[in-house]
Amino acid sequence: MAATHADKVHVFKEDVTRALGDATLKLAIDRTTVTAERKRAAALVDFPEFAEARRRGTAIKNHVVANLDHYLEQFERNALASGAHIHWAKDADEACAIVIRLCRAAGARSVTRAKSMLGEEIGLPHALAEAGIERVETDLAEHIIQLAGETPSHIIWPALHKTREQVSELFKAAHRDPHKVEEVEAMVESARRELRDRFMNADVGISGANFLLADSGAVCTVTNEGNAELTTTPPRVHIVTAGIEKLVPSMAHAMAMLRLLVRSATGADLTQYTTFHTGPRRAGDRDGPEEFHIVLVDNGRSRMLADHGLREMLRCIRCGACMNHCVVYRQIGGHAYGATYPGPMGAVLTPALEGVEKAKDLPHACTLNGRCQEVCPVSIPLPTLLRGWRDRSWKEGLVPQAMRTGLGLWRFVAERPRLYRLGSAVAVRAMRLFRRGGWIASLPLAKSWTAYRDMPAPAGRTFMEQLRDRERQGGRQP
Amino acid sequence: MPDPREAPPRGDRPRVALFVTCLADAIRPRLGFAALQLLEQAGCAVEVPRAQTCCGQPAFNSGDTAGGAALARRVIAAFEGYDHVVVPSGSCAGMIRSHYREALADDPAWRRRAEALAARTHELLSFLVDVRGWRPEGVALAASATYHDSCSGLRELGVLAQPRALLREVDGLEMRPLAGNDVCCGFGGTFCVKYPAISNAIVGEKAAAIEATGADLLLGGDLGCLMNMAGALHRRGSRVRAFHTAEVLAGMGDGPAIGEEG
Amino acid sequence: MSTRETILDSVRAALGRRRPDPAAIAAEAAALLADPAAIRPALPVPDPVEAFALRVVSPKVGATLERIAALGALPAAVARYLDAHGLPHALALQPDPELRALDWAGYALRDTARPDEAAALGQALWGIAETGTLVFHSGADTAVLNHFLPLHHIAVLQAPRILPYLEDYAALSDPAPRNANLVTGASGTTDIEGSYVRGAHGPRFLHVVLVG
Repeated sequence: MAATHADKVHVFKEDVTRALGDATLKLAIDRTTVTAERKRAAALVDFPEFAEARRRGTAIKNHVVANLDHYLEQFERNALASGAHIHWAKDADEACAIVIRLCRAAGARSVTRAKSMLGEEIGLPHALAEAGIERVETDLAEHIIQLAGETPSHIIWPALHKTREQVSELFKAAHRDPHKVEEVEAMVESARRELRDRFMNADVGISGANFLLADSGAVCTVTNEGNAELTTTPPRVHIVTAGIEKLVPSMAHAMAMLRLLVRSATGADLTQYTTFHTGPRRAGDRDGPEEFHIVLVDNGRSRMLADHGLREMLRCIRCGACMNHCVVYRQIGGHAYGATYPGPMGAVLTPALEGVEKAKDLPHACTLNGRCQEVCPVSIPLPTLLRGWRDRSWKEGLVPQAMRTGLGLWRFVAERPRLYRLGSAVAVRAMRLFRRGGWIASLPLAKSWTAYRDMPAPAGRTFMEQLRDRERQGGRQP
Repeated sequence: MPDPREAPPRGDRPRVALFVTCLADAIRPRLGFAALQLLEQAGCAVEVPRAQTCCGQPAFNSGDTAGGAALARRVIAAFEGYDHVVVPSGSCAGMIRSHYREALADDPAWRRRAEALAARTHELLSFLVDVRGWRPEGVALAASATYHDSCSGLRELGVLAQPRALLREVDGLEMRPLAGNDVCCGFGGTFCVKYPAISNAIVGEKAAAIEATGADLLLGGDLGCLMNMAGALHRRGSRVRAFHTAEVLAGMGDGPAIGEEG
Repeated sequence: MSTRETILDSVRAALGRRRPDPAAIAAEAAALLADPAAIRPALPVPDPVEAFALRVVSPKVGATLERIAALGALPAAVARYLDAHGLPHALALQPDPELRALDWAGYALRDTARPDEAAALGQALWGIAETGTLVFHSGADTAVLNHFLPLHHIAVLQAPRILPYLEDYAALSDPAPRNANLVTGASGTTDIEGSYVRGAHGPRFLHVVLVG
């Protein structure tokens, strides 16, 4: 695999500790996610048809996934007919090799890239660097993290972890003509000036795809900045990298999905720039690429298709709503997940892409509160899928021994009601030895709780004990 | 709305089994008695099966599906003979209603029994309103309170309006809205001991939101979440007192709150 | 075996079938588009032209709008816009015969926008009332970059070209141009702390002249 997060030794709890201690990070996370949550909610107020649209969107993606072979072939046929070149890549290495080969064939010194999470997933930025090809990230957030030498921390706002103050410092150090005043507007203008000639002088433009339209062979990209069009139009070659699950039957189906995607992602009704790319430049066209390549990437998706639980994850349209609404993401941010995809969808995808043994904490670092599923525009049962990974990691012996022993003991006792009643009666009395007033501030075997919270002391006698007494005395009421 | 799958009550007093939950049994017996009292006021013949222990959720949610299934079978066997099973916890009721069938998916006979039990199992507050049409009478509490919606009850069982409808009938009780009332408190069962630092950060925000309401009381429908929030509030020196909603409805709101000596 | 065959074989194996039934799939796909009114927001007013006019100036799109009675009034309308922004009467003007036939006396015109172009004017092929969207098709008289390079993007749209909903455009999109550009407002970004700033890489201003 091309270098991605998987190559790093990732210690989840250490990353979490670092993230929780970083007040600036928390400030940055809140500034974006709070706004995103509010805007999505407002968008749904204006869209009372959302519930039905969500059912339909779910059905459209289920239909595509259930007929993926058909749609892949149909898309390929129509894309070829439009003059596009189609390439197939079974994994990240193959995908990167194809892109590098195409760049070299084009004699590329400089490529522009419009944000694509698939590109991140397959490690394309790293592969381009290794091949000695200059990579210019054009999405503003990707530009920021390229300057910082970092990876995305969110799938919609890759630089979500950066405050405006941090962005300002990066731009001042790197831009040829940086901003003079400390306002976000001025910083955006600084990036605009910096990237202008890069757009025009690139040899190859690389984008992802939000949807692949089977009936026309078109590729749909959505951006608010317009950077996808500025990336894909001036260069001689446009390369698209897309996961094989990105298909929809037609443009009308794409429209139904766009209504869900954009509202869930940013709270707008439609992205400012929604573009359908069909083939290369035509005879007489004023501009556009002479070559149009589409790399269809499997990278674990056909494996997910074979798994009835994970198959549901192939509906994902990468809106990011699950992470915006995740209590864990909002405390630790995206980098602590140590993978391309953070948050709930990432905690499901990463074990599928990289192996559960490399991501064993992720499915457990979730309270199973269900809010992610509630906001998911294609109804992915994320908590159920996370629980599925927990089941697998239990079976594969990846759950820590202390947890296995504790739960084993609990089960042993709970399967024996008499022993359980005796045990709980003893336990509540033992716990009371540690109380001060009604609270316990430190309790052996429960340090994980009492390190942070006080624990209410038990009443001294269990409900079952008290109930038996009352029943013997001929009444139940306290 | 009454569930059409409910078995018709025998006579006019349905036989109801109370699943008190392991947490209430050990930590807060008052909640068990409050639940008993409310169910009886709502015209139920209540029994407390002595074979009850734990619903199996800690095992199931930790990936020990076999362990969860083993406990699920015990609960099914102990509770399947009643008209209704009522649980003063959305999380444990949700386990029985939504997840027993998953835990027992590979065992058709037990799966059928799980589904039959699921159809008769209810969270306490929603049972009182939706099935029994009960409202409190003559209950008074001069206090202000805010309400946290625990996630399992809210999202697995749709418990949202029922506790508010019941609390509206309590004389003198002023309800104050909680910002982020539907956002997880960070308890998450074993999550709070597996990832205590994250859990603490989450409940810290929750505690701040609760304090910002200026309410005297924090109410909720799940003892685990309430212990988490009350424990965090107490650690930060807050004066907010926490009760399970059933306790207030049973007229125990003037008694000791969670963490106060009774 | 080629990578293509490897992937398609593993997809088929995962789906547990040999050959799909294209007719059945097409019928199912068509059924998923039934009753579109159930899955889209209704227009605020029944007339698509009025709905578009309301929408395009709403905060959700944030464009400015001038309505003129006939296309002949376009050069004067554009002059008013440029004057209001203190801009010279210079334009990258799409070489659309209908636009070129107008009287642009006093204007400095070019066919395609330069990277630092102040203003470009193009005629939208369609408007979509639901979202306040302008649709441009690339071609011999429409350069894609004209919608993306200028600071001020001026678009003229003729009222009869306004469609009610996104699906109505989808039904008319065949044959597909190389690029169908759906433009819904000026370029914007929320990439720094979620705060909305216009003019990220593309136009900072979108001005729509609606004819009729």
